[in-house]
Amino acid sequence: MSPVILILAVISVVLAGTMLFAKNPITSALCLLGVLLMTAGIYGLIGEHLIATIQLVVYAGAIMVLFIFSIMLLNLNTESEDHKKEPLMFFSAIALGMGVLTFIILALNEHFLNHPMDYSVGKFTPEVIAELGGNSKVLAHALFSQFYVSFEVISLALLIAIVGAVVLAKRKFD
Amino acid sequence: MTNDVLVQTLAAILFIIGMLVVLLRRDTIMVLMGIELLLNAANLSLVAFSKSAGMIEGQLQVFFVITIAAAESAIGLSILVNLYRNFGSIKTQNATTLKG
Repeated sequence: MSPVILILAVISVVLAGTMLFAKNPITSALCLLGVLLMTAGIYGLIGEHLIATIQLVVYAGAIMVLFIFSIMLLNLNTESEDHKKEPLMFFSAIALGMGVLTFIILALNEHFLNHPMDYSVGKFTPEVIAELGGNSKVLAHALFSQFYVSFEVISLALLIAIVGAVVLAKRKFD
Repeated sequence: MTNDVLVQTLAAILFIIGMLVVLLRRDTIMVLMGIELLLNAANLSLVAFSKSAGMIEGQLQVFFVITIAAAESAIGLSILVNLYRNFGSIKTQNATTLKG
């Protein structure tokens, strides 16, 4: 177990908890930004360099800029302390979360202890990836050969999202 | 405890916290941020499993998920701007016009 990954994991859990309980939306947005940066660090540490870069550029860059821009545009600095007003909802949600977490931990336990994963399910072991020219090259090759239809469809989805966002956000001229 | 167990546990905890954010907060923008946290946790789990199994399909799937997350947040935030314009607030309990 890498101690650096453990440190990043602890920091991201603390930041996510702060995001859950922060009163100000801008605090929550900055905590979410921290969680996304820590996740990018973990991706880099386990050797997924392309995904780490995309996480930094798209998630921590573009999406968080959109969120912070919206918070500042709408002037949402009203401190809302509303989850304390409904203690029944609060505690039932916490109990539900703990229940789901217990099930996930049990499933992971079952998976990792009783069915140890065969690390050669796929053919892309770290040695093969290094031989083929690195993580980014392998992923890009698969993206533009095997998955090119998905790539084109996702570009169409982005175009539809751009048009939809503009249509939804523009003022009506009537 | 290997790196795999650590990363999967982290993904589970982040997913639960994202779920709690969606359930507990009453601001629409907090609900959208909770959805981003949920997607991020699912991406982390997918990448770690795919890496440890020696496959690259998981990483490509995460690439598509990140793209869809960007589209989703753009649409969601423009709906948010509309909500603020029509109700003067972004609390979820104001937008009950469609409630039967």
